[in-house]
Amino acid sequence: MASTQQRSTGYDEWLVAHAGDLAQQWRERYATSSGFEVKPVFTPEDLEERGWSYDRDLGLPGEEPWTRGFVPGGYRQQLWKLEMYAGFGSAEDANRRYRYLIEHGSTGGVSMALDLPTQIGLDSDDPAARDEVGQMGVALASLADVERVFDGIPLDRVHHIFTTANCIGPIAAAWFIALSEKQGIPTDAFVVQIQNDPIKEYIARGTQFLPIEASVRLATDMLQYVAERAPTWLPISVSGSHMKQAGSTVVEEAAFTICNGIAYVEACLAKGMRIDQFGACIELHFCTEMDFFEEIAKYRAVRKVWTRLVRERFGGTTARAQHFRLHAATSGRPLTAQQPLNNISRITLQILAQILGGCEQTRTASFDEALGIPTELAARTSIRANQIIAHETGVPYTVDPLGGSYYVESLTKDFESEIWRIIERVDELGGAVEATRLGWFQERIADGAYRVQTALESGEEIVVGVNAYQVDEETPVPVFELDETAIARQVERVKQVRAQRDSARVQAALARLREVCGTQANVMPAVLECVEAYATTGEIAKVWRDVFGTYSSETVRY
Amino acid sequence: MAVTRQIRVVVSKVGLDGHDRGAKIIARGFRDAGMEVIYTGLRRGSDELAETVLQEDADVLGLSILSGAVVPLTAKVVEALRERGMSDVVVLVGGIISAEVAARLREMGVDGAFGPGTSIAEIVDFTRQRVAQRRGEVCRAG
Repeated sequence: MASTQQRSTGYDEWLVAHAGDLAQQWRERYATSSGFEVKPVFTPEDLEERGWSYDRDLGLPGEEPWTRGFVPGGYRQQLWKLEMYAGFGSAEDANRRYRYLIEHGSTGGVSMALDLPTQIGLDSDDPAARDEVGQMGVALASLADVERVFDGIPLDRVHHIFTTANCIGPIAAAWFIALSEKQGIPTDAFVVQIQNDPIKEYIARGTQFLPIEASVRLATDMLQYVAERAPTWLPISVSGSHMKQAGSTVVEEAAFTICNGIAYVEACLAKGMRIDQFGACIELHFCTEMDFFEEIAKYRAVRKVWTRLVRERFGGTTARAQHFRLHAATSGRPLTAQQPLNNISRITLQILAQILGGCEQTRTASFDEALGIPTELAARTSIRANQIIAHETGVPYTVDPLGGSYYVESLTKDFESEIWRIIERVDELGGAVEATRLGWFQERIADGAYRVQTALESGEEIVVGVNAYQVDEETPVPVFELDETAIARQVERVKQVRAQRDSARVQAALARLREVCGTQANVMPAVLECVEAYATTGEIAKVWRDVFGTYSSETVRY
Repeated sequence: MAVTRQIRVVVSKVGLDGHDRGAKIIARGFRDAGMEVIYTGLRRGSDELAETVLQEDADVLGLSILSGAVVPLTAKVVEALRERGMSDVVVLVGGIISAEVAARLREMGVDGAFGPGTSIAEIVDFTRQRVAQRRGEVCRAG
């Protein structure tokens, strides 16, 4: 048939005619960071080779196959929600920073970094927590701390709250349900977005403290409860960004995240839930690093793959079930301690890639992150980078501006094929939980990290300011300093909360939680009861540790 | 002819921080440089870790800490080694370490403090030199 016949673009002749020019290269090989070959130029032949079709692979925004985004009007209709992840010290410190960020244009509400003890289920006054209280996030030992963080910040006014509670996901959901009742604001007046993705903790992020099956059960109990009680919330954010920052390639980041997402959905389906009821509660979260076109292709491909999974594998029938929040963060990993102001350029390019990829919510790192917690100036500069793209460049004026680019469409197709291939491999291994237990993801991630490091040391890859274009004397930039007295106050306050609460009520709630954990019933009502009684994060986590056992890291010999 | 014993290194994450990209990279780097490496995994306590170093008869202990608690966590490990009479172990710390923090670490007896952007080659060379020096001193003392 004439219509399917390959049209010659003259590419082969062009290669011959310009062989001399084309042989002059400043790299031995041009490939994306995931290893896809990059040709000197892409033509319609590349699309034909991949079986690309306009209707099947592209279409229009707000329509299947969703390559061009879920929102018909794209950023013309609504600019991306800009979120600035922050948190340190005590509740008051965090409260001040959140107010500052909102005042300066962070439209994504409050994005809370939790300190490590909180994430691992240890209270601020636990001896094992002592050195790390408030260091990498805000310490939230009980509902009392959460109340203080939101002092003067009404939930419906910030509209959006995000936090990286993972293995303590149910506790975080309970905090916000309890807080909405205290503030007298209905749960549909704001959105709570909780990462609640424990699998990737075992793979790459490292805040796991229970056996993996128990963590998956707790996460999906929470998802089930929130999907019913607060259906506009986002109770799970399946996250690839930590796996990539630990060393996976861009395409592995996409595929591993989707595999973990499949594991959660299947766990929910096994509870008797239906995808049409909870599909819209799912969010997929990635980070954007420096390979500009790969990142754009990734976001486009992920929309195609996940929505097809929802339709074909999980039996989703509605557009709402297929739609997921696409959440992207610029990555702290490529940011350098050397010549830190260079990071402003890196961050800006990362933001641009995620905007060209059509992300609905973006989180932006700050240029001083390789040195410590961002200063106000560094955080504000990152907000401004988003605003410059939004208002000065014209980039948001048309939807999916790179749609139809021979290169971007080819790469999107390549991403799609590779993601399906990895899904198939993980299915063969028995799914994401089993693959994690086998260390399959971890091994690939460690390989990737080592590959990147050796390429850097051999000079095969260049990072400006690190292995090329160094300066003898660094120009110092201001570095954030934590108020250490805040930490002591936080520890003191946990003790006060314990002394002032109704101890009998706490003990009864914890006993009920212990009982429920031993059954198949959903733990959330019991967790909520504990939280409302001001049981601490550590006390609730201790019940889980007692019932489910504890995670312990393995020693590896090299 | 004296046979030089293979350098034994314990790499560990102390404290609660779970970011182990750096720890795993340097573990492989030491391995590829011909050293024997034991990576303890996450969240090791100082006493537990010092016991491991003792039992493994390690020449080197490499700590990777990316949380803000580098100084207090390292101090505890150094103290735990000292209590066990293992002050001759070469102690290295990698992570988000400013010049000021590096100075404080060296004051407490840390041999090498390495911030972001340090190459494997640099750490391996440093480690070889320090171990050779330490072994020489032990021989002379003995």
